[in-house]
Amino acid sequence: MVLISLNNIYKIYNVGGEEVRALDGIDLEINENEYLAIMGPSGSGKSTLMNMIGCLDTPSSGIYQFEGEMVQEMDDNQLASIRNRKIGFVFQTFNLLPKATAQHNVEIPLIYGNIRKNERIKLASDALKSVGLSDRMHHKPNELSGGQRQRVAIARALVNSPSIILADEPTGNLDSKSGHEIMGILNKLYQDGNTIILVTHEDDIARHAHRIIRLFDGKITEDSKTKS
Amino acid sequence: MFLLFLENFSISLSAVFANKTRSILTALGIIIGVLSVTMMGTLISGLDRTFESSMSWLGKDILYISRWEWFSDMEWWEVRNRPKIHPDYVDKIRERSKYALAVAPVMQRGASLSFKDKETRIQIFGTNEDYMETISTDIIQGRFFSKNEDRSGSRVTVIGDGIKEAFFGDQDPIGQYIKIDKMKFKVIGVLEKQGKFLGLMSVDKQAILPLGAYNRIFSKRGFMRLSVKVPEDKIDEGLDEISFVMRHIRGLRPNQENDFAINQTKAFEKQYNTLKLAIGGTGTFITLLSLIVGGIGVMNIMFVSVKERTREIGVRKAIGATKGMIMGQFLIEAVTICLLAGLMGLLFSYVCSTLLNKIFPSTLDFGLAIFAILMSVVVGVLSGFIPSYRAANLDPIDSLRYE
Repeated sequence: MVLISLNNIYKIYNVGGEEVRALDGIDLEINENEYLAIMGPSGSGKSTLMNMIGCLDTPSSGIYQFEGEMVQEMDDNQLASIRNRKIGFVFQTFNLLPKATAQHNVEIPLIYGNIRKNERIKLASDALKSVGLSDRMHHKPNELSGGQRQRVAIARALVNSPSIILADEPTGNLDSKSGHEIMGILNKLYQDGNTIILVTHEDDIARHAHRIIRLFDGKITEDSKTKS
Repeated sequence: MFLLFLENFSISLSAVFANKTRSILTALGIIIGVLSVTMMGTLISGLDRTFESSMSWLGKDILYISRWEWFSDMEWWEVRNRPKIHPDYVDKIRERSKYALAVAPVMQRGASLSFKDKETRIQIFGTNEDYMETISTDIIQGRFFSKNEDRSGSRVTVIGDGIKEAFFGDQDPIGQYIKIDKMKFKVIGVLEKQGKFLGLMSVDKQAILPLGAYNRIFSKRGFMRLSVKVPEDKIDEGLDEISFVMRHIRGLRPNQENDFAINQTKAFEKQYNTLKLAIGGTGTFITLLSLIVGGIGVMNIMFVSVKERTREIGVRKAIGATKGMIMGQFLIEAVTICLLAGLMGLLFSYVCSTLLNKIFPSTLDFGLAIFAILMSVVVGVLSGFIPSYRAANLDPIDSLRYE
């Protein structure tokens, strides 16, 4: 089933009177339960594409459908709602709230989703359990290792049972052992039926994905399936 | 929505407590603002109560005729050159005025009073049998003196509650003899307790003598005033008529000004309202000033808070916070700072008014406390608005990248 469909997407910035095409006519379809890697050198537009897919940004022109909904026509509140319900973000720098416990960090999307407290606590601890952190629920980020922090971030991305998980260089700030663990978790999520979109410039990381898209100058230059 | 409110409230509480010093310094203006508005209110309501009770003692329907005008800027020698109020006026006013219900001449001076081996300084009043009509105090024991006792110069006296307490305690003072300036007087009555006039001077240490006896013992020098009771619903007509009668007694021609004064409690009221206005004005000014300074401080700290947490705002937006939710978070934070400051101000104010209550009737009014809290909330909303609006409208992509 087609989850995401980008049709002739342009994102054009005006930098000092000069037109910059961050995305230059992108056509892309992503199906349910795909494991996709977006690659490209810096400035290729991969961050813009990720923000676009993550509904943080809207296209200058083109049609973006997310599960059949027209994203380019949505207002800020609708975008926030779709991010809350359908998209889980994992960032390179984890982006946890430093003063909140792991449990509370994971609960935040549920708070914005207006989920009742008892259910919230249950969902959040389940998500933490699934990333192997059930013994660290009441620790604050500065009491956790980098790998553990990223696992909390993954739990936060998972907790709303989103349609896609968007991971932007998820191992970029981790040592190779922790990085390996994180990729293991993402693999497992994929096997459980989740759709995962990975943004990276490392071939080693991209190798975990089953489909690789390469971007250059805002255009897709390669779209290849590596595994079936 | 309520969930989110609780969440935001706890976020802001932890933000406030994480930066204690900063928060307290920020909130100082609000604290002072709340303190000044509640203290002002407390002071005014305390004054009101004192004034009310003092005025009821004086009586709205009593006209006080004397040489001296209350609260006027007349020179002392002008007053002194006016003719004295003469005891004969009492009968003349009774004869010619139809509004005068009671006319009492009043002479007043300090004297020493002794009973057995105790002695004290008191105020003595010389007056006639109408006196009780012109004051709001009652006799609680015994009786007042009669017209005959006044005319015959009988040595009888009615004493204030303060004297009874000091000299007789639980003993019955009626029929006892006390000495006023070495002269023996028989106690025939006791006045009820009155408290302090304008919260300052006690009027319970007094003795009232018939004017006849007063004049015989003490020299006739000294100033007399007349207390004239008029019907409560005809005060203005009474005032006009008595003024006319007085002019007639004095034989003034139409082009001559009054050489006497007719005072009313209204004069006190006017003076009092001016005082109240001054206190209220000063208090309001201080309150407004400190609230503006406090509000600007809170606004400033909120800008800093938004700046510091730009990345957090980006993350929150990425995981689904709407503009309204971000705005709410920071607004609630600003309101929380102001609310805590307001509560602190209230606490100080409570302590101050409790201490002050020992010398002056002042209690923190509940309604006023609620008003002060609402006022701090309003300041929080106003000063938090622009920073919160700015936070809500941050671009999520830029804020996520913010270092």
